[in-house]
Amino acid sequence: MSNITIKDLSIKFRVYHDRSPSFKSYFASLFSKDPTLSSYTDFWAIKNLSLNIKAGDRIGIIGHNGAGKSTLLKTLCKIYSPSEGHIHVVGRLAPLLEIGAGFHPEFTGRENIYLNGSILGYSKKQLRAIEAEVIAFAEIEEFIDTPVKYYSTGMYMRLAFSLATAMHPDILILDELFAGGDIAFITKAKTRMMEMVNKANIMMMVSHDHDLIRLLCNRVIWLDHGRIVCDGETNTIVQRYLDHETPQ
Amino acid sequence: MIDYLYTLIKELCTKRDVLWQLVRQQLILRYRRTTLGYLWTLINPLLMMSVTAVVFATLFKVELKDYAVFLFAGMIPWNCFNATIGQSAVSFINNEGLIKKIYLPKIFFPLSVALAVLIDSMLSFFVLFAIILCIGGQLSWSLLFIPFAYVLLFFFSFGVALVASVATVFFRDLQYVIVIAMQAWFFLTPIMYKKNALTGSIAWLVQFNPVSTFIELFRNPLCFALLPSPSVIASAAALAIISLAFGLLVLARQEEKIVFRL
Repeated sequence: MSNITIKDLSIKFRVYHDRSPSFKSYFASLFSKDPTLSSYTDFWAIKNLSLNIKAGDRIGIIGHNGAGKSTLLKTLCKIYSPSEGHIHVVGRLAPLLEIGAGFHPEFTGRENIYLNGSILGYSKKQLRAIEAEVIAFAEIEEFIDTPVKYYSTGMYMRLAFSLATAMHPDILILDELFAGGDIAFITKAKTRMMEMVNKANIMMMVSHDHDLIRLLCNRVIWLDHGRIVCDGETNTIVQRYLDHETPQ
Repeated sequence: MIDYLYTLIKELCTKRDVLWQLVRQQLILRYRRTTLGYLWTLINPLLMMSVTAVVFATLFKVELKDYAVFLFAGMIPWNCFNATIGQSAVSFINNEGLIKKIYLPKIFFPLSVALAVLIDSMLSFFVLFAIILCIGGQLSWSLLFIPFAYVLLFFFSFGVALVASVATVFFRDLQYVIVIAMQAWFFLTPIMYKKNALTGSIAWLVQFNPVSTFIELFRNPLCFALLPSPSVIASAAALAIISLAFGLLVLARQEEKIVFRL
């Protein structure tokens, strides 16, 4: 059974005033205590966050922009490592933070299935097995051997979506995913997403679409400035969040 | 450190498909949609070396054939070293989009570049070797040492490349500094001239140049049909281990910061 334990997690970002410090300012700041010389300020995107997630949890994360929602998901996916505290994940985790990350424009659709598929953690054998199904679901049979830079945005999204959702992970991490394609494809994609969510052991998603959260989640966490404001049953928390955001 | 190496090796094993895909991407993309395609990887250094051989054989007043073999034997390891450093240095910067969106072990980015360069270099070695044979090189048992020389060269280059790639993330100017530094390093390495030919106040630079050792590893079997002396092999092995260990240490200490600095 999958579970995730987060203990006292903090993530610190450095905001650089000057995008890349020069050697000169680097050495100047080494030998000087003058704070105006330092080229950055620290900023905590997540502060002392502890969380226990057990199998069966369908978690929606809400909060306004900059609350640390995406940072939390990215940390779970190991893109950021904790500045303090630690995370323990049991189960195979599928990050669907941004579908199509790792697609190479010069590669053909088929080559990208293998390139991006291996980045997503599929083995070559698995990829050979799902290749035909991915192409069929994306409806791009005739363009599969064309470099993806010639694809329309819709075709690109369809291929990326089909590939990313081809396997059923234990832990599913979603960051505002639904996009692209015509109505028929979106309907098809939604069905496939639902199926994936249902089969996952744990699901965690960030969304500003509260209806979607009400539909999919059984637990909601409201984040603000990197801290948990409240955590509990979906309707209660979403209602409290909405009341707070839209004062009468 | 032991823990780090253990995790690293485990990740290399479990994710070797990704590594191979990244290497493939490097090899395929460079010359896609050119008529001669991959052949450019071989033609390019060949033409460059031929021109150099003709010019400098005339300048030094030596036999063109002998000089060509001498030069080729030095250029092969140098080109491999140079390309590994130059291309790895920007490997994190070029993959910013990927690094920020999905987790992959950081070492994969410089490593895939270095492996692709190694494959290129070995292929051009075969072509050059055929030419060396045609113009009067000798076939000998000592050539069996070349694969081993490649292993040592690879570890040495990769260690330096790791440091260069991590440092370039923090100081972007380095990508330009490295190009110039490598140019200077080339002239201070006995590739176009013999090891003791450069005298005077900068002779010590050539003497203590670590790359000289690796040039000798290739030059002895290719030019003189001799095995490199045990002391040269030992110092090359020591340099390779020190370089790789230092590179891994730098990566281990900095890799978590890379994503925040891209």
